[in-house]
Amino acid sequence: MNGRHAAPTPDPGHGTDDGSDPGKAPEDHAGFVAVSVRLTGFDEFDLRATGLVRLYHDTTLDQVGRPAVGRFLADLDAAGGDPDRITDETSRDIARAITHLWYLGVWPQLARSTHAALRRERANTAFVVSPEAYTEGLVWRTFHGHPPGAKPPGHGTWAAAPPGAPVRPVARRTEGAA
Amino acid sequence: MSAGPAGRDARRHDVIVVGAGMAGSLLAKQLGDQGWRVLVLEAGTRTLDTWPGYLDALDTYYAATAKVPNAPYRPNAAAPSPSVLDLEGLPAGGYRAHGYFLQNGPLPYSSDYLRATGGTAMHWMGIVPRMHPEDFAVRRRYGYGRDWPIGYDDLEPHYRAAERALGVAGDADEQREGAGLPFPPGYVYPMRAIPRSYLDAVLAHRLDGAAVRERPDGPDTVLRVVATPHARNGTPDPRYDGGRGHRPAGAAGLPNYGERCVGNASCVPICPVQAKYNPLKTQATWSPRVTLVDRAVVSRVLTAANGRVRGVEYQRYDDPATPAHTTRTAEADIVVLAAHAIENARLLLVSRLAGSSGQVGRNLMDHPMLLTWGLMDQQVGPFRGPGSTSGLESFRTGPARGTRAPFRIEIGNWGWSWPAGSPGTDVARLLGIDADTGRPRGRGVFGKKLRESLGRDLGRQFSLQFAFEQEAESRNRVTIDPSHRDPLGNPRPVLTYDLSEHVKRGMAAARTVSDQIFRLLGAEDRTGYAPGPLAPGWFRHDGRDYVFNGAGHGGGTHIMGTTARTSVVDQWQRCWDHPNLYAVGCGSMPSMGTSNPSLTMAALALRSGERIHRDLRELKGPATVGRQQGGRP
Amino acid sequence: MTATTRPSVLAEPPFRVPADRADLHLFLQAALALEHLTIPPYLTAMYTLRPGTNRPAFYAVRAVVLEEMLHMALVANLLNAVGGEVLVADPRFVTGYPALLPYSRDRITVALRHFGVTALETFLRIEQPEFMSGPPGHPSTRGDEGWTSIGQFYGTIREGVLRLSAELGERRLFNGDRALQVGPEHFYNSGGEVFAVTDLASALKALRVITEQGEGVNMSVFDSDDRIFGEAREPAHYFRFNEILQQRSYAPDDTPAGGPTGPAVDVTWHDAYPIDPGARVAHYPPGSAVRRAAEEFNEVYAQLLCVLESAFTGAPRAIGDAAPVMLRLRHLAERLYRNPHPDPAKRARGLHASATYEVTERHFERARRFVPRRRAG
Repeated sequence: MNGRHAAPTPDPGHGTDDGSDPGKAPEDHAGFVAVSVRLTGFDEFDLRATGLVRLYHDTTLDQVGRPAVGRFLADLDAAGGDPDRITDETSRDIARAITHLWYLGVWPQLARSTHAALRRERANTAFVVSPEAYTEGLVWRTFHGHPPGAKPPGHGTWAAAPPGAPVRPVARRTEGAA
Repeated sequence: MSAGPAGRDARRHDVIVVGAGMAGSLLAKQLGDQGWRVLVLEAGTRTLDTWPGYLDALDTYYAATAKVPNAPYRPNAAAPSPSVLDLEGLPAGGYRAHGYFLQNGPLPYSSDYLRATGGTAMHWMGIVPRMHPEDFAVRRRYGYGRDWPIGYDDLEPHYRAAERALGVAGDADEQREGAGLPFPPGYVYPMRAIPRSYLDAVLAHRLDGAAVRERPDGPDTVLRVVATPHARNGTPDPRYDGGRGHRPAGAAGLPNYGERCVGNASCVPICPVQAKYNPLKTQATWSPRVTLVDRAVVSRVLTAANGRVRGVEYQRYDDPATPAHTTRTAEADIVVLAAHAIENARLLLVSRLAGSSGQVGRNLMDHPMLLTWGLMDQQVGPFRGPGSTSGLESFRTGPARGTRAPFRIEIGNWGWSWPAGSPGTDVARLLGIDADTGRPRGRGVFGKKLRESLGRDLGRQFSLQFAFEQEAESRNRVTIDPSHRDPLGNPRPVLTYDLSEHVKRGMAAARTVSDQIFRLLGAEDRTGYAPGPLAPGWFRHDGRDYVFNGAGHGGGTHIMGTTARTSVVDQWQRCWDHPNLYAVGCGSMPSMGTSNPSLTMAALALRSGERIHRDLRELKGPATVGRQQGGRP
Repeated sequence: MTATTRPSVLAEPPFRVPADRADLHLFLQAALALEHLTIPPYLTAMYTLRPGTNRPAFYAVRAVVLEEMLHMALVANLLNAVGGEVLVADPRFVTGYPALLPYSRDRITVALRHFGVTALETFLRIEQPEFMSGPPGHPSTRGDEGWTSIGQFYGTIREGVLRLSAELGERRLFNGDRALQVGPEHFYNSGGEVFAVTDLASALKALRVITEQGEGVNMSVFDSDDRIFGEAREPAHYFRFNEILQQRSYAPDDTPAGGPTGPAVDVTWHDAYPIDPGARVAHYPPGSAVRRAAEEFNEVYAQLLCVLESAFTGAPRAIGDAAPVMLRLRHLAERLYRNPHPDPAKRARGLHASATYEVTERHFERARRFVPRRRAG
């Protein structure tokens, strides 16, 4: 038996009494996402799929300040959008930090020189920005893994070959003298 | 529980159990089911057996920068726990100890434990091999260490009872053939074996049947990858218990929530779904005659006439962050210390009890661990599944034990997370981020290059974890120094620890074996041992460098033996000097073999439970309340 | 098997007590589809929660979903026990959403909605306990022209099982292959466990679990897990959902009429990603990442149904493979919900992309590459 098709609800977005605010789109931080795509090598869908764009945007501003972020964006622009060609060491360290944040959910210690150059009035310590930031780290996706303690793949899945590996083990490829 | 005006517990108990960890929880369950009134005093807090409390621990773990075994569990000044982060290696070797332990030995004791309801078994790996029969007689057979007053056969029924209580998944036939363990005919574990990892299969394919030598002129040892028994929910075996099968125990704190292991790959430090056994599950089935009082730090054992004890004095606190507390006493016919090897010894020393042999606190043992790690020539799927699902068992037994410590090789499923802090360190390295912020940073790679580089290498990481038997040595010990106290005024443990030549020779043999295994695998060996802040366990032996880690398997400190002259407890874990004082746990073990010790500890506790039941019946006649099953069957 | 003897899952069971074995098969196959109908909307509510928020709600809905899975397995066991053949991996088994809730007097629309008041109100309608009408033909239902409630539908199945067992004899009715039965060693998790259905007693027990976990026992708030499984009893599905809606849990002595008076339940309605309940894959631009992800979701959902069908048609151990596929679905769905809707107008209204659960024969064909079909033909 199938549920019979009903007519689609005429106005799906409006009139929710759920406390959500569908009349107003949340700030989408398109610029931060575009920069993050270049830094991380992950596309916009992957980055937004973490649900952490706003938190990372705000964390970055909070940690290094708006002027330094502005200089970093200008330096990245001058480098043709390729973070590898950023020459200013402070901007490059900001690039490292944002990338580290996306990959691990951890805002890292800045280089002591960067910390001093930015005259930061806070301790230069590494921290996990939120519990979800850890579980959404991109590093696990680089090898089709999952963060320990979250996103478990299911009973016995560890017995299956990971993507890119032969389904059944094969003899070693390099010969070593035993 | 109510306390009288003088802070004295108004009700009298048959048994007081100090510590709500694995041994204490199992004992309380057994005695409560037999009708005895049991008071369990837990030094730490009791938040983990509620689901919000458990999820808080999970969040704390997620948010911790260093994901060490105690990371999920909130610090508690009133009942401090040691942490592996307390040790700091020095640039040219040597170490500095911070935190709860004071350490003055040549090498650091590198293991932690947890003082909270559920105890250290909240963050154990859940690996439960039995000890080998020859492990019980190492002095007699191989001329080192100490022998047990009992043998494998005496403990075998209790191994089965422990496997039932913990809900063990395993393959008894494979353990018999691959690890040489005897089982009763037809025995099956409660659950079928946990599937072995893809990495295990790769190693088995390349190693099974191959031979290695510990010395160029030494005998061949044939390798075989053997699946490991786990206290972890898998597939119940309908053949278990004469065809009655096994019903897996679900999570404590959330009704009817019980998953089989879904591969969270975080058994240490916290299983998010509680597929892995923890003592909270046992506590959930306690009879109503078992009373748990948390935030109750036992400060000493109280004595009566004739060498008997009458109860304990404990400090009850409300806020784990302040030293405010009230001192109370509780009395019972039998007192059982089940607070961890080091805490049990500390309590006996503070109470000046059980000291006639001079062995209290001595013979401190662990399973020192040597890690080797490398890159396979293909993707192997690391960071998946339980921490280890198979091992190489060929070096655990046999005549070589006469010259070097035996060892068990665990195949590490979690990449280089233990030896090298992967993948965090890999990300930092590729980005040019040095741990020393004063050093100039590397240029770093970004974007696709970074992503591809990580993808290529992280998926090839694997490690071998060599666990060595450490023999009982009286120089390795726990003492107390009244001038060093915790915030509640209790003396902190002072540890003196070192590795013997026997152990170091075992490590040298293991390194040789590891080199050959890496060649057989065709893997790139990336093992490196250098002194530094993260290598407090660095030492040099015979011109080679080593770094060892702790396994969290502390034992030996109230050692079991055949006479009161040479040991602290008898074969029932009963103090020779005090007929109604028991000290249970790994502290009783005269030798630890190469098996993760929790299963043996559990078996010993259940065996002691039988003795305590007999003691109580002799003292008081049958239990005043009839035998009654607690919890669900 | 040829197409002519294949049970027509498109046919609705007649409004009468099952008169013969074929009738009973039709009813049970329909019950299977009914149990399944509720799963996508419940999953949608669960996975639209913002990570780390609304945990009591998450675990409550999760427990209900797992019990619906348990019910599917029990119905499949019952269908196999009476010699039927289970059909799951088929486009005719999968409804489109929004759907109309069958076997109900009222027109109840079931849509895929994000976690919120509207979604919960629908869930309450689905699980609503009602005074059980007698089966068709009973004096109390004289004059009725159709079903009044799901409870009545299951009551009718129960009546049919009883009558056929009496007419044919218990052993002849329960003539199915025992090897097809999914047992407790194959599936356990939340609230009860699967058991084999081999006779009248186990058949009635299965029907009892299904109705009492959903609606409660003897007009009370609670299910009968304590009596049937020796587990902790819990509020039945209707009341678990009501706890979230009322933001208060039931105390042990609470009654359906009195409402929940226990401790408060923490719910933050705004901690969910709003979605378009009418979303279709076709609404997403071809070639977009959202489109690819939504397609992948539907394909993996087809894999889940293939796994379930294998488990119910001869490979009971295969049900163990359902959990990994469900976990994949969860991760895929969460990634979708966190992305804004690709349509600028919908995005401007704060709507997010969503999983659509549109499963067609094309999806099944692809899914069968990973999960081959067991049945012949």
